[in-house]
Amino acid sequence: MDNGMEGILDTYLFETNSLLDQLDEMLVKDEKIGEFSSDDVNEIFRIMHTIKGSSAMMEFGSLASIAHHIEDLFFYIRDKGIDSLDPEHKKELFNLMFRSEDCLRGEVEKVENGEPLDTEAEMEGFAKEINDFLKKISGAAPEEPAEKSASAPAADSAPAPAPEAAGIENLPADPKAVCFLHVFLDEGIGMENLRAFMIINTLKECEVEFRYYPSDMESNPDTCSVIIEDGFYLAFENVEMSAKAEDILKSQGHIHSYELVMVPEPEPEQPKTASEPGSSAAKPASPAPDQKASAPKAAASAPVKQNLISVNLTKLNDLLDIVGEIVITESMVTSSPELSQLSRDSYDNFMKSARQLRKLTDDLQDLSMSLRMVPISGVFQKMNRIVRDMKQKLGKDVHLTLIGEDTEVDKTIVDSIQDPIMHMVRNSMDHGIEDTEEERVAAGKKAQGEIVLSASHTSNEVVISIADDGKGMNPDKILAKAKEKGILTKPESEYTKKEALGLIMLPGFSTNQTVTEFSGRGVGMDVVKKNVESVGGVVSLTSEEGKGTTFSIKIPLTLSIVDGMKVTVGNSIFTIPIANIRQSFKISADEIIYDESGSEMVERIGGFYPIVRLHQFYDIETEVTNVEEGILIWVETSDHSFCLFVDDLIGEQQVVVKPFPTFLNCYELKNSGIGGCTILGDGNISIILDITTLHMAALENI
Amino acid sequence: MSEQMTSHQEFPDTMDTMDTEENSTVERCLTFESGNLILYISTKYVIEAIHNISNHSITRLPLVPPYIKGIINLRGQILPVVDIKMRMGKSETEYTSTTCIIVLDINSVSLGIIVDSVRQVMDIDLKDVRPIPVKRQQKLLDGMVTMADGSVFMSVDCQALAQNSTLNDMGVI
Repeated sequence: MDNGMEGILDTYLFETNSLLDQLDEMLVKDEKIGEFSSDDVNEIFRIMHTIKGSSAMMEFGSLASIAHHIEDLFFYIRDKGIDSLDPEHKKELFNLMFRSEDCLRGEVEKVENGEPLDTEAEMEGFAKEINDFLKKISGAAPEEPAEKSASAPAADSAPAPAPEAAGIENLPADPKAVCFLHVFLDEGIGMENLRAFMIINTLKECEVEFRYYPSDMESNPDTCSVIIEDGFYLAFENVEMSAKAEDILKSQGHIHSYELVMVPEPEPEQPKTASEPGSSAAKPASPAPDQKASAPKAAASAPVKQNLISVNLTKLNDLLDIVGEIVITESMVTSSPELSQLSRDSYDNFMKSARQLRKLTDDLQDLSMSLRMVPISGVFQKMNRIVRDMKQKLGKDVHLTLIGEDTEVDKTIVDSIQDPIMHMVRNSMDHGIEDTEEERVAAGKKAQGEIVLSASHTSNEVVISIADDGKGMNPDKILAKAKEKGILTKPESEYTKKEALGLIMLPGFSTNQTVTEFSGRGVGMDVVKKNVESVGGVVSLTSEEGKGTTFSIKIPLTLSIVDGMKVTVGNSIFTIPIANIRQSFKISADEIIYDESGSEMVERIGGFYPIVRLHQFYDIETEVTNVEEGILIWVETSDHSFCLFVDDLIGEQQVVVKPFPTFLNCYELKNSGIGGCTILGDGNISIILDITTLHMAALENI
Repeated sequence: MSEQMTSHQEFPDTMDTMDTEENSTVERCLTFESGNLILYISTKYVIEAIHNISNHSITRLPLVPPYIKGIINLRGQILPVVDIKMRMGKSETEYTSTTCIIVLDINSVSLGIIVDSVRQVMDIDLKDVRPIPVKRQQKLLDGMVTMADGSVFMSVDCQALAQNSTLNDMGVI
């Protein structure tokens, strides 16, 4: 049961968060054009309605009450048409909406962290604000006939018209009833019978007199399937009661649709019932145009919602592990030595099936790898909001341009770069862009500042850059500041421009004199750097004074799979990422050049490169110690290039990177050129070399 | 490979049944031999024992102390393997047909230990366990108990084994 609750809570959080994201995107977009489209008004209304319903079900009163008030507000706006608002009110509405969104998010966050929520009383202030605004705009446009507003919501809480008189013939036997409400619940909500019963209880509390069918829904779980299939019936003895019930149903969650069914009885009541079906038929009909308008919108957003499922990340990781196992086991089977004992014919047959299997496992592997890839747009969209907020607070006019939002990256990367990107965008807003428009115009730039956030793929990296056209950085100022902070490691004059700029990424550096709300809290670029490095990435920056600053983040595309070259050293097999390999070649002994300390070097295409003998560095016993017997592999990383001496090349293979067991963490293998390990086709383990750290360990610390 | 699968002998975690006896200090332990000592380890840490380890090739790791023999592929999981005899500061001996790898999970740190032979699972009353009188630098054993037949069993300190602290390593190399 506990587990079940947790599942519901997870679903609730996921759903509410994605609705809020959707809301946010819509608000930012609409604010740019300064106008809500009527589709969006409908959409916001729907979002608030859903949040209200699900929050009420989870008993998060504060969330439900805020959502309820906004729903009211948007109900009014939708009813009147957004054009009835004057520009002042619209502006106010946008601010109010952003604040409500934050307020809802804050509460949801509390739910996530298991903190107690604000009570509804605490929320009252904010709710009152919404109400005041509603009063203000409704005061501006005098009251419309109330009945219109009463009939409209009937349609929206039941957005889809009920299936064509699903079962007049199925009507439960109830001689006294003159009309039935045939209610359908949302699909897949679970425990349908209890939910139906909850709705019935609510009705009863509101002093509605009725009977309901199936009458044993509370105690009989079997009615669940009946309710899913056929909905449930509420039987009323008079039409007034049914109308009252209808009003209450509007406010209930999980109702997919409902329908008023009159009992076809040519009784004295005929005239009355005759007029009623008319009006009840008219009810779904009259808001129909309204509904039509929102229908395409719903259709457009529907695939997004329905074609996505959220999966627990650990399950996905388990899947990836198993797929990796399958690939490895497959090659274990097909390369099994017993196969050679098969007859020629059966061997051919076996290999035919094996090839087919290989193709399938390859597809499976590609597919499962792609599962973890998500577009970066989620992170980028959030920046819109940040820029918008800061624009108001700082009084700077800045335009944010997003490029390459649909670039796909590994899920873990998305999670770990959100904060760094946010921080850098804030930095650019706060420190990068000039404080006043005059300053910009004087420097010969457009009055509006610009921040460009872009993402793109290179062969094996994702490059994310944050560029502003602000005032840029002054290396001398940075140096002076660094000196003041005492973080310089060599004389000031020896710093190159690039090194000076790099200083801002050291811990304890912040050039801004004053701490603002947005940046300069003491945690700065060093945290950004650390976060990015934790997913194997690098941060670099270029800046030209007066022209602007560009931060670039480069992150390996995926962390879990590598194209590798297998090499042997003694009995060990190492895998070198192919991306790092430039060339492999053999040399004769007289090509080796020695430096003053006896270190070996080799000349290659006009440059001299040090040789690292892997067997020496890792102290592995091997018979191949003569340079002429082994092979040299010329490797390079971003700014280092050197040669590795190994015994032999075995071949190329795609390998799944497995991290080292935690037990071995204390040996700092990661800093000695060992990036991870992988299981080869024959079940043996190969160590994956990390060329960057290998260079540091083998050549820089001598 | 199929042979390898069958050679894994599972040790069911019997702690659940033990807990039903109130205030019991009796613990189910796996006993094994290493370097002429009889050692035991609580079964709550033991996942399984792998016999005939020749089926598993141990991949040696560079730059680690010699008692870490390397890593093995245990059905797709990478498992570090420690020779417990060398961990106790004794010299390495040839592996025989009785040599076993006991797979442990100590507070979600998994590792395998190579022992000379596995004996049996038995109940040991923790009240009878006495501390080891001699304090040594290489503290891997943290208790000893005399059994009814007069033989002495020693308790492996799982925390010390799992923590594998770098300070101790210096003394070993």
